Amino acid sequence: MYYVDLAFNGLVFGCMYALMAVGLTLVYGLLRILHIAHAAVYAFGAYVAVIVANATGGIVFGVIAAMAAAAVLGIVIYRFLYEPLLSYPPYIPMIASIGLLVFMEDGFRIAFGEQGLTFARNPYPTQLHEFLGLTVNTVQIAIVIAATVCLLLLASFTTRTRIGIGWRATVSDPRIAESFGVDAIKVRHLNFAIGSALAGLAGALIGLLNNFVEPTMGFVVSYKALAIIVVGGLGSLRGTLIASLALGLVESYGTIFVGRFLDRDAIAFLFLIAVLIARPRGLAGIKAA
Amino acid sequence: MSAYATSVLAIMGINIMLAVSLNMITGFCGQFSLGHAAFYGAGAYGAAFFAAAGAPLPLALAAGIIVAGLLGLVVGFAALRLRADFLAVTTIGVSFLFVGFVRKQPWLGAEMGISRIPASGLGSEGNTLLIIACALVTVVASLYVDRSWMGFAFRAVGDDEETARTIAIPVSRYKLVAFTLGTAIAGLAGGLYAYFTQFIVPDSFGFILSVALMAMVVIGGTGSTLGVVAAAILLTLLPEIFRFINEYRLLIFGGLLVLVMRFAPGGLAGLAQALALRLRKS
Amino acid sequence: MLRHRSRCFAMRAQFQRWCALATVSAAMALAAPAQAQIKIGFQAPLTGPAATDGVSARIAAEIARDKINAGGGVLDQKIELVTYDDQAKTEEAVFTANKLIGQDGVKFAVSGSYSASGRAAAPIFQRAGVPFISAYGVHPDITRAGNYCFRGVHLGPPQGRAGAKFVSDNLKLKRVSIITMDNDYGQATFEGFKSVLDQFGIKVAGEYTYSLKDRQFGSIVASVKRDDPEVIYITGYFFTAAPLVSQLRSAGIRAPIVGSQAFDAEKLIQIAGPAVEGVYIVGGLNRDRDAPELKQYLAEFQKRAGYAGENVGATVYSAVRLMADATSRAGTLDPAKVRDALAATHNFPHLAGELVSFNALREINMPMNVNVVKDGSFRHYAWIDDLKLLAPPTE
Repeated sequence: MYYVDLAFNGLVFGCMYALMAVGLTLVYGLLRILHIAHAAVYAFGAYVAVIVANATGGIVFGVIAAMAAAAVLGIVIYRFLYEPLLSYPPYIPMIASIGLLVFMEDGFRIAFGEQGLTFARNPYPTQLHEFLGLTVNTVQIAIVIAATVCLLLLASFTTRTRIGIGWRATVSDPRIAESFGVDAIKVRHLNFAIGSALAGLAGALIGLLNNFVEPTMGFVVSYKALAIIVVGGLGSLRGTLIASLALGLVESYGTIFVGRFLDRDAIAFLFLIAVLIARPRGLAGIKAA
Repeated sequence: MSAYATSVLAIMGINIMLAVSLNMITGFCGQFSLGHAAFYGAGAYGAAFFAAAGAPLPLALAAGIIVAGLLGLVVGFAALRLRADFLAVTTIGVSFLFVGFVRKQPWLGAEMGISRIPASGLGSEGNTLLIIACALVTVVASLYVDRSWMGFAFRAVGDDEETARTIAIPVSRYKLVAFTLGTAIAGLAGGLYAYFTQFIVPDSFGFILSVALMAMVVIGGTGSTLGVVAAAILLTLLPEIFRFINEYRLLIFGGLLVLVMRFAPGGLAGLAQALALRLRKS
Repeated sequence: MLRHRSRCFAMRAQFQRWCALATVSAAMALAAPAQAQIKIGFQAPLTGPAATDGVSARIAAEIARDKINAGGGVLDQKIELVTYDDQAKTEEAVFTANKLIGQDGVKFAVSGSYSASGRAAAPIFQRAGVPFISAYGVHPDITRAGNYCFRGVHLGPPQGRAGAKFVSDNLKLKRVSIITMDNDYGQATFEGFKSVLDQFGIKVAGEYTYSLKDRQFGSIVASVKRDDPEVIYITGYFFTAAPLVSQLRSAGIRAPIVGSQAFDAEKLIQIAGPAVEGVYIVGGLNRDRDAPELKQYLAEFQKRAGYAGENVGATVYSAVRLMADATSRAGTLDPAKVRDALAATHNFPHLAGELVSFNALREINMPMNVNVVKDGSFRHYAWIDDLKLLAPPTE
């Protein structure tokens, strides 16, 4: 039972990481940029969620607003930061991305206080459900469901709709895709919008789970999400998902059994480095051209 | 000279050493390292451990250099197998692994750090002079390497590995040399830092510092020794001079990074070069 | 490849321009108008990861200063706080300490910051002969830096020992699961707790650690559930304690929870809500004490900060008051005499209780309060006044 408990926790973690990492991998797959500012989008989503929820009294409004606002922010970041820098070596936009993350996090602290914000009426983390012998709360269930639904939608979108297929084509080979009439700009905007919306959703859900939104919340997740997409094989959605869940489980079990020698972050990165040494191309073994 | 100025100069010297050594790895040799703080920390802990055990100054510093260099060699080997983006993330991992490991080791002081590092015997002004001297040597060495055959090889590797291989440059060997040299210097800086504060904690050597160091390199102009030196001096002094806007320190730093990358990706060196060109034309 | 000579030339010109700008700015920043007489240096982490406590510390120090000045100041002079942000970092603590001594010429100093910066600053103040009080920084070597360094809060180990005594003698429970925050404060408190296990006949069902940055504790919660202890002892700050306690209760774990001093912040209750009802806090601020100065302080703090006062602020307020009080008692501004007056402190009205005395190592001898969270606020529950048990080291 204990191990099932740990496994479920790993699953919840994994789902959260997956929601974050998908956006990162989408951006990387398309532009070869490590979009570290994605973590700021995540935190931004959380702030929007708590502010809107407290103002309107509806948590669902907050979550929807978070996704919408995050999507917009993602596109803005692309337009004003990455698009002009596409011709430079990739570490330039990456450093810019780091700068933006630092800037926005401090912005959150200055605008909303270092003590963070809490939801005014949030009964969900203490709403318990018995489920196969486990005790879980509503938000945990919401996270798992949200992640599953979103990822399934994303999968069917990219395989079944024209836009989605055009998008995949652009990721694989932009020039050929363009010659087939796919609008590269639209694809990029879509890419950022979807990835950022998912990050905003993740932020909102974590904010609900902890009942606490703080300025530095993005920082903790950002580098882990990076680790995930690298382990998953940069640009591969499938690899990212596997890596997300794997990391969630590794952390869940690892902190108990290895916690005496290494702290949580070190465990996560040890896992990452071990995978990379064994398979330098990542779990999915995709050649990122 | 006031104690305050002495201490600021000391940290400035250390930052110069760190930035210039990172520039060797990233700027000269194209290996993007966001883990430089770990080697700095390794040097600090190595030196502190031996100093606290009674070793004299030169021995302790040497210990720091060796520990950092060895760690750099190990990471360098791992780096050989990895492409650029993977390397960036792996070095982030190194940064976290170092802190995450050190803070759990009781023999390294765990969370309390190493606290009774004896004085170097040079006095605080002497310490600062030593640091400045080492910083100068580092800068000169970097400039020399830049113009030497090794620098050429580094750049070749950094610009285009495949082509470098075709002109018989042993790419792997140069990558390792760059890593080891850069990390050894960082280790020396670490040892000097340990004597400066006489007290080190794991948190001082975390990922945030790695980012700040990379920022110095990038703002200075990746590849340009003098640009990087200027950026290191600037980023050390500005927060002290502008203490009254300290509240917005990170905001300004982040904003600066964004603006520099967006509008002047060549950094200070790039700006200086553009300025020089324009002056020459007029 | 860049052309070296022209680049160097342009670089030099650029650099000289920056130097000029730097010098002018420095001159402007340093030309501060001369004001009140007695300067007390104050370091706090106003930005960075410790900013929540840093801001509380600053507000508390300012309240103390205003109260002292409203009462006529010290020895007929007003006091002035010279505040610097040390970002909870060692080198910033070093810079700011040097600045306070060298440029601002402070005669007395208080640290409203965490352990690492207190530890880095202490030797500097010691060397300069500036009496120094660390309000709430718990690194053991702060007071070992020298006889000018004092500490206004209980060290980690006495807090841990008090926790063990409370669990065993007050709650009468023996089987405990311990969850420790993995920073120096958590570690030290944990060691204190462990050091007296046999003395109180306590058995450990499980031991876990977590990082300051963690907010999700699923693995620990599952493990504690399996341990099924009689009581759980946790060290943490409100931003880790609130989620942890919440999650423990959400998992159906009903055992009483005993928290460490740093739990003591209103935000704990705000975030965790009903989950923290009944949680005990060893070393929390006793807000129910019938002391007018305490009531005044709490009201004023609420007004200025917008949130309720907690332990951190209270210790900083008292540290500043203590420094002023010692100066009064010394009757002179001579730092050596003030230092002696500090060391001779007897039954000082600290906001957290009666500061009985300082021991040979300038650590406090003081009873410790235990709070309980009842009806959404912190209420006094018990005093741990076994001063022998709480006795800090003497060297």
